[in-house]
Amino acid sequence: LLKESCMKPLPSLAPLSISLVATCLGLAAAACGGDSGDGDDGFAEPAVVEDFADQVVVPTYELLAERTALLDVAVEALAEEPTPVGLTAAQDAWVAMREPWEQSESFLFGPVDAEGWDPAMDSWPLNTNDLEAVLESDDELTQAYVAALPETQKGFHAVEFLLWGEDGAKTSDEITPRELEYLGALTDELVSVTDQLATSWTEAYQGGASYRERFATAGADGNTAYPSLEAAVQEILVGMSGICDEVANGKIAGPFDARDPNLVESQYNFNSLIDFADNIRGVRNAYTGSMPLAGTEGASVSAYVAARDPELDEHVRAHIDEAIAAIGAIPSPFRDAILDEANDDVIIAAQEAIRHLQETIDGELTTLVLGS
Amino acid sequence: VAAARGGGGVAWLGAAAIAACVLACGDDRAVDVPAGGALTVFDRSSNAFSLPAPGLAGTDFDRHVQGDAAFDQTFVTGDAPVGGGLGPLFNNTSCVACHNRDGRGLAAISPDRASSVALVRVSLPDGEPGAPGGPVPLPEVGTQLQDHAVFGQQPEARIELTWALLDGAYADGEPFQLRLPGLDVELAGGAPLPPGTMTSLRQPPAVFGLGLLEAIPDDALLAAADPDDADGDGISGRVNQVWDGLAQQTRIGRFGAKANTASVREQVAGAYFHDMGITTPLVPGDDGAAPDLPGDDVEATAFYVATLGVPARLALSPEAARGELLFEQMGCASCHTPVQYSGDHELALLRDQTFAPYTDLLLHDMGDALADGRPDFEADGREWRTPPLWGLGLVQTVLPGAGYLHDGRARTPAEAILWHGGEADAAAEHFRTASAAERAALLAFLAAL
Repeated sequence: LLKESCMKPLPSLAPLSISLVATCLGLAAAACGGDSGDGDDGFAEPAVVEDFADQVVVPTYELLAERTALLDVAVEALAEEPTPVGLTAAQDAWVAMREPWEQSESFLFGPVDAEGWDPAMDSWPLNTNDLEAVLESDDELTQAYVAALPETQKGFHAVEFLLWGEDGAKTSDEITPRELEYLGALTDELVSVTDQLATSWTEAYQGGASYRERFATAGADGNTAYPSLEAAVQEILVGMSGICDEVANGKIAGPFDARDPNLVESQYNFNSLIDFADNIRGVRNAYTGSMPLAGTEGASVSAYVAARDPELDEHVRAHIDEAIAAIGAIPSPFRDAILDEANDDVIIAAQEAIRHLQETIDGELTTLVLGS
Repeated sequence: VAAARGGGGVAWLGAAAIAACVLACGDDRAVDVPAGGALTVFDRSSNAFSLPAPGLAGTDFDRHVQGDAAFDQTFVTGDAPVGGGLGPLFNNTSCVACHNRDGRGLAAISPDRASSVALVRVSLPDGEPGAPGGPVPLPEVGTQLQDHAVFGQQPEARIELTWALLDGAYADGEPFQLRLPGLDVELAGGAPLPPGTMTSLRQPPAVFGLGLLEAIPDDALLAAADPDDADGDGISGRVNQVWDGLAQQTRIGRFGAKANTASVREQVAGAYFHDMGITTPLVPGDDGAAPDLPGDDVEATAFYVATLGVPARLALSPEAARGELLFEQMGCASCHTPVQYSGDHELALLRDQTFAPYTDLLLHDMGDALADGRPDFEADGREWRTPPLWGLGLVQTVLPGAGYLHDGRARTPAEAILWHGGEADAAAEHFRTASAAERAALLAFLAAL
């Protein structure tokens, strides 16, 4: 993508020569030649980028919207009849909805970030003080009301808190009508956000082309977001690497290093370790150009690598499997596991497996796909 | 606005420049100034503004990681186990919520949102300044409207942002449309702003590269300033002299759309206090209570932004290389100074670097259309600080829909150029009257940054 030889620093120059330097830069860089995005030895597989959008991102967001709608239906049913069966159904719907979301965290670029939808859905930690204050207020709890609430009083974890309670042991008898009213407004707003997220990739976005269009046409004339195919495939690799970093050094290291269960995400329903494993499954989806939960598959970075260095492709796949297995070896719930030193070895082993995967992505994989 | 522009000829320096360049380069070897000197990183993804500078190691790297976490921290009300201390008034609840991926934020501000990304500065024309030489705060409000509040509290203002469209045309007849922001502000309880209140809208800027800008010696800025246009080139350029609340002295301003802040630390501590209502030992608030956030976290955040990498520009296509010549010829480089040199700095990493921010950090009269009419220290109501252009080609990758200029009114770099007036009027007019191919070449150059 960027040749080192084009980036040699100039020796210190007197201010008078600045305008001369400026005019020279262009000519010199042009003379450097043919590396403006579509060189013959660079990454040139539009199908990988297109299918990443069509077979990974769009199906993931559509499944998220679909499962969020089912959560909303389950919460409505629970409000009508707050029975143990109804509560279990709503809780199961939350866990099902969570799966595609966690898998989507290997590609947190574009509208999900730009529009603030990620924090609107998935802010952590919750502001439980103000969440309780909302319940105690006389305010009418509607979708518009929730939309204007701070991110830390809504989203997945607010729903989780209300469905499971602080100790994860809530019963249907304990759910108050006020909590059910809040839950209904929360899931209505989540339906709205997940719908907007899915359609931002498939329909007009910000008055222009869909985000699918902007990403999948990387390298086309006038594409200001992704002026080259290399930039788009770099986006895929950076997303894979970024979520590895987040899981090993954020989601696990944060609470583990501080021995602080308050820092553990999805701590009310003990879903933390499932979240982490789904994050790494999201890496696999991105790498293999597929979304197994939706049954989609296409051209992939994996196939691109396998055609050039089959051994490296095997390594990346094996590292993904090892990272998921290592997370699975940590005793659940994670919020208790971090308090018992007997678990330190397996927790550290999981971190190392994920870091190993990240190093392979940042190192050999990036070098093969983008050149050095 | 721009449609009313008169004609004007471009001073064609091309042939002379090419001749000089051939002499200077001597051979075919590539020459370039890395965008961030030793802090240059190579990434054209949405993560391009978020990478640590190469060469950060050991405790410095750990410090950067600590600052990264602090930058991402979402604050909540009261004495919560994690991230307490928000508000009670605020614009937003974390650094990263406004500076998306360490880049810009959207020009989004509304009472219907959970928080706002853009903000409105306010001041009165007369009265006692909040800091020596600074803007005069509104009683009970200050110099920044916090349009959100924690649960159960009233924000100090309701702000609605509307856009008016303006039609214009390039000299070759191709039409364009610009959009002008309008603010509708109501104070808590429905009261209007006091008569004479001056308002100014801000879109959050990117935060990478600030350490290098801080390390440019004062003398270099003073030497580049030409307050009375002594050289008669139509470009003045003044340094802002601002009160540094941490150093308790007047210093040269570098940061903010009007260069109203002297240091990264003060910028960061001020943002915690004004944007999120988080008190720190650096800006403790006036109630004598313990700070919401330990000083170590604020210092780490300042360290983090000062040690982010700066993305290298792309190698230039022939079209973009032509655009770089036009950038010089049209007069853009007169203020968007391509190359700067750092001097001494407490962080060794930032010392003695040659880098390419495309700014002189000076104030320039930008004309009526961009004027906010709100002075800020020595910057008058028509002056703005030249913003850096590094990373410009990544703006839409990092944040789709991000605007340009101080308030995000420009939707594209071309619109931003067309808004330029005052000292930049001639340069903007060169762009408006250039051929479609020349305009495309200039924009191709900017997209490579």
